[in-house]
Amino acid sequence: MPEYTAPLRDMRFVLHELLNVDEHYQKLNLEEVNAELIDAFLEEGARFASNELAPLNRSGDEEGCQFNEGEVTTPKGFKEAYQKYVEGGWPSLGGDVNYGGQGLPSTAGIAISEMIGTANWSWSMYPGLSNGAVATIESHGTDEQKATFLPKLISGEWTGTMCLTEPHCGSDLGILKSRAIPQADGSYKISGTKIFISAGEHDMAENIIHIVLARLPDAPAGTRGISLFIVPKFKVNADGTLGERNGVACGSIEEKMGIKASATCVMNFDDAEGYLIGPENRGLNCMFTFMNFARLGTAIQGVAHAQKGFEGGLRYARERLAMRALSGPKNPEGPADPIIVHPDVRRMLLTAKAFAEGGRALVYYISQLGDVVQKSTDEEERKQADELMAFLTPIAKAFLTEAGLEAANHGVQIYGGHGFIREWGMEQNVRDARISTLYEGTTGIQALDLLGRKVLQTQGASLRNWTKIIHKFCQANAENDAVKEFVEPLAAYNKEWGEITTAIGMQAMQNVENVGAASVDYLMYSGYVTLAYFWAAMAATAQAQLDAGTSEEAFYKAKIATARFYFKRILPRTAGHKGGIEGGLDCLMELDEEHFAF
Amino acid sequence: MATYKAPIDDMRFILHDVFDAESVWSSMPGTAEMSQDLADAVLEEAGKVAEGIMFPLNRSGDEEGCQFDDGVVTTPTGFKEAFNALAEGGWTAFSGNPEFGGQGMPKSLAVLFEEMMHSANCSLALYPLLSNGACLAIDAHATEELKQTYLPKIYSGEWSGTMCLTEPHSGTDLGILKTKAEPLADGSYEITGTKIFITGGEHDLTENIIHLVLARLPGAPQGPKGISLFIVPKFLVNEDGSLGERNGAVCGSIEHKMGIKGSATCVMNFDNAKGWLVGEENNGLACMFTMMNYERVSIGLQGLGLGETSYQSAVEYALDRTQGRAATGAQNPDQAADPIIVHGDVRRMLMTMRALNQGGRALAAYLGLQLDIAKFSEDAEARAQAEDRVALLTPVAKAFFTDRGLDTTILGQQVFGGHGYIREWGMEQMVRDVRIAQIYEGTNGIQALDLAGRKVARNKGASMAALIAEIREWLGTEKGKLGDLSEQLEEALVLAETATANLLEQAQEDPNAINALAVEYLDIVGYVLYAWLWARMIAAVDGRDDEFANSKRITAAFYYERLLPKIHSLYAQFKAGSKNIMALAADQF
Repeated sequence: MPEYTAPLRDMRFVLHELLNVDEHYQKLNLEEVNAELIDAFLEEGARFASNELAPLNRSGDEEGCQFNEGEVTTPKGFKEAYQKYVEGGWPSLGGDVNYGGQGLPSTAGIAISEMIGTANWSWSMYPGLSNGAVATIESHGTDEQKATFLPKLISGEWTGTMCLTEPHCGSDLGILKSRAIPQADGSYKISGTKIFISAGEHDMAENIIHIVLARLPDAPAGTRGISLFIVPKFKVNADGTLGERNGVACGSIEEKMGIKASATCVMNFDDAEGYLIGPENRGLNCMFTFMNFARLGTAIQGVAHAQKGFEGGLRYARERLAMRALSGPKNPEGPADPIIVHPDVRRMLLTAKAFAEGGRALVYYISQLGDVVQKSTDEEERKQADELMAFLTPIAKAFLTEAGLEAANHGVQIYGGHGFIREWGMEQNVRDARISTLYEGTTGIQALDLLGRKVLQTQGASLRNWTKIIHKFCQANAENDAVKEFVEPLAAYNKEWGEITTAIGMQAMQNVENVGAASVDYLMYSGYVTLAYFWAAMAATAQAQLDAGTSEEAFYKAKIATARFYFKRILPRTAGHKGGIEGGLDCLMELDEEHFAF
Repeated sequence: MATYKAPIDDMRFILHDVFDAESVWSSMPGTAEMSQDLADAVLEEAGKVAEGIMFPLNRSGDEEGCQFDDGVVTTPTGFKEAFNALAEGGWTAFSGNPEFGGQGMPKSLAVLFEEMMHSANCSLALYPLLSNGACLAIDAHATEELKQTYLPKIYSGEWSGTMCLTEPHSGTDLGILKTKAEPLADGSYEITGTKIFITGGEHDLTENIIHLVLARLPGAPQGPKGISLFIVPKFLVNEDGSLGERNGAVCGSIEHKMGIKGSATCVMNFDNAKGWLVGEENNGLACMFTMMNYERVSIGLQGLGLGETSYQSAVEYALDRTQGRAATGAQNPDQAADPIIVHGDVRRMLMTMRALNQGGRALAAYLGLQLDIAKFSEDAEARAQAEDRVALLTPVAKAFFTDRGLDTTILGQQVFGGHGYIREWGMEQMVRDVRIAQIYEGTNGIQALDLAGRKVARNKGASMAALIAEIREWLGTEKGKLGDLSEQLEEALVLAETATANLLEQAQEDPNAINALAVEYLDIVGYVLYAWLWARMIAAVDGRDDEFANSKRITAAFYYERLLPKIHSLYAQFKAGSKNIMALAADQF
């Protein structure tokens, strides 16, 4: 049966040993947070995830959300778990201290996000979406808007949404049609239909605050004519109490492949009262300020499903008996050996493990960059961290969700026929994982963002920011024989990454279509090399502990063995992506649209 | 919305232009009646059945699923009528032995029909497909009396068949199965035990269900050599062929699954059920293996069939959905955005699906012809060669079709963006439905092990060498039609040879090597095979300048430039050996 045990040892390894957050907090002069507090959060978060959320994961999937005349009922137990989450003060970890938040850096909550997400991704989306709304209001709201909406969003009494997509426009927001008409009192009347709105309506909180993209009258066409509005489900009186119902209603909820306990709503805005947030026609720019955080949230989903596929697969591989090990029986008293003795089962387990742990390192690292962006007083340092974060985020979002889907599928495969049966929970993991490569910008859109906007528009500068870090690591460890097997190939890939980028840049100058043709292979290549860096760095960290005579020899040796697996069996996939990139554009664009049907 | 039209033009092209199937058929008495014209007529009709009868029930069947109530299974609305229509049209007898009322169609044609059925509605398709498997086993190993009793009624669709292998504790490892068979004085047996994952184990489509059950006789040796095969009907059959009393084979429950929800996956409880031995005592697994190749290809086609439907649906969406502008400037200036088929990355997804589907269809037809030769040829040497080829390539086809089927259905879903995740559009169902095909009929890990161990290492690569020699011979005569591709194909062949040699070398020193490297090895073989088949398709359109021929050339170039390079990364993973996989202790995970 599916259950959840948080990988606390590995989380501590990443936070304390790899990223050394204690020192990082001191550098940022963050007195309110330290290693001890992080460890306390890890323990508490793990308890909450395992005890309150994991038990609702499969029942939530089976029951789904119910829609009845505009009302959405979440599955049994969701509301109560959310209440406990609010009472525990969890929603406010990162919130602005002026509005009731605890003002903690992103790294303080990152492992908690992973734990609640792995335990129950659907449930985690309700508080997750609120984060987006909070970040938007914190960055762009007026003092009055902040005072009105932030305290209750930060406390979790209210939840938030992001209303972007419309029936005819998803990836291409420039063509959206929702309208905002200015009113005499300074507010706006918003009308239009939004779809795919996660947590657009539910029964877990007393009010829902929608952040809505819409066009002002006579706004320019395209992406430069979009403004951002706050539209509450219930209007808020001057004294903070709830007033009348606003003209926003849920029209229906989607029947989906997975994340069935997360309400995906059609939201109809019909002269709903809204308040402009940020400058007119600058709505998309306002959205971008927190886009990286939202995308990082989805990157966590990749780690979550990889972890779940790994954990479930491991449990089964140790119990299930079938056939004998090729090198002779390992369980001679039993009728057969546990399937973990079989190399191909190990291949699947190690792949999932390598993605989960490598992905964890990448996501927590980006979160650490986020701390710098949010908390550093040094503007140059902030800018550098921001650029690096902007570069790594599409890689983390797209690569880790693709990897998470792969690992979730391995989880099913390890179970054989049982993997296909709902009862075992592994197929739900695949269905839930499948959305992650679609929403928050599809893999294709992330790849365009990475290659087009981040790499080529900066003439490769953003890539060099990162490859320089890898290069320094390789140099620093060049004489370290124990990790040579990782450092040498990493250095070679790091160089090749630059060469591939230069080649694409040249091709793009001749024909800009080359960017779209190469983008996904380029992103996947980038993902494999980036994870290789984290695996090499983790191996070096583990080796240092072994050299220092650790008492946890098995743990550190397992790290190094997994790094070795990653380098030998996963990293070579880059060759296929490189080949794909070199295959070029012509073979993609040549076929006439009509002839696809042949 | 999902859309499906049987790809008859491509099927005809592959059968006639690429493989000249008619000359193979006409050379063998068992298939001599089949001609190009007849095959075309059959494909046309089969297309109508798939599009008109099966496809309309695909989504509703998924939504409704099968219902279980006290041992009785109800299939989704319309399934019974559709199954009856298939039976009345003779489609359930398609591959059956003509001596007992079968149509005797060659497998080279059956693979195309099976692809269509999977494309249109794989849940519904599984009922007749499982019956086929049961008939093959009966036809090959049962007594004349048993054949007379069961085959005509299963072919006619009045009855259906199942394969009862798996038990709760034994799936991949059938050697440890526990179901028992006690001999009775009248020569029959009493079968007792629990079987799980029995597709079509109970349903309301036919009046009787004939189970083929693996069980152990008293005193049978342990392991796979102590297993026998039995026929166990749901209703006993009277001497006059009418149905007698209910036998002790009862459905205990049905599984709630990720997909193929219209197919009943049953727990079957056998409680002193009366059964009859098929084949020799303790030879049950061998009896099953004789038809395993046919069945594995059929199940592999589920991957290909769903990949095709996903492709067609994604093309339609990509032509219709407008989003963003082409990188080189607006293609559709009158509207707010361009259709997404203008975008390089959307095309990458569509071209990938297309190249894999069409390559896969060619492999299916090739393998179908080899199965026909192995069965019908009067030339013993030709038969032996074809058997060797079938044995080598069946695991590749099963695993590669279905692994690529998951890839392609996920790509098709991806083309739809968020809409791909919504049930209404049908794209997510294809992903859920295809997922089982990587698991059942021997997981793809088992297929890879079968290829690398049994088919390659055991004869020191002889079968693989024979295949590569055939491809080289073909390349020698057709080179002039291939342009640059011939050199790339030769390079791919060299890599396949190198990988095979490397596999044999590693296997000699390391008992774990084969299992550790098998999956990558199978993928290398799959990609190289498709490269050959794409070359054959290019050779077949030599001298033609019509749109169909040009689209083949473009797709072949895409395959060679964007997909075939994967063999290099697979080989790099492969040559590292098993150490990195075996190093971690079980408790270190």
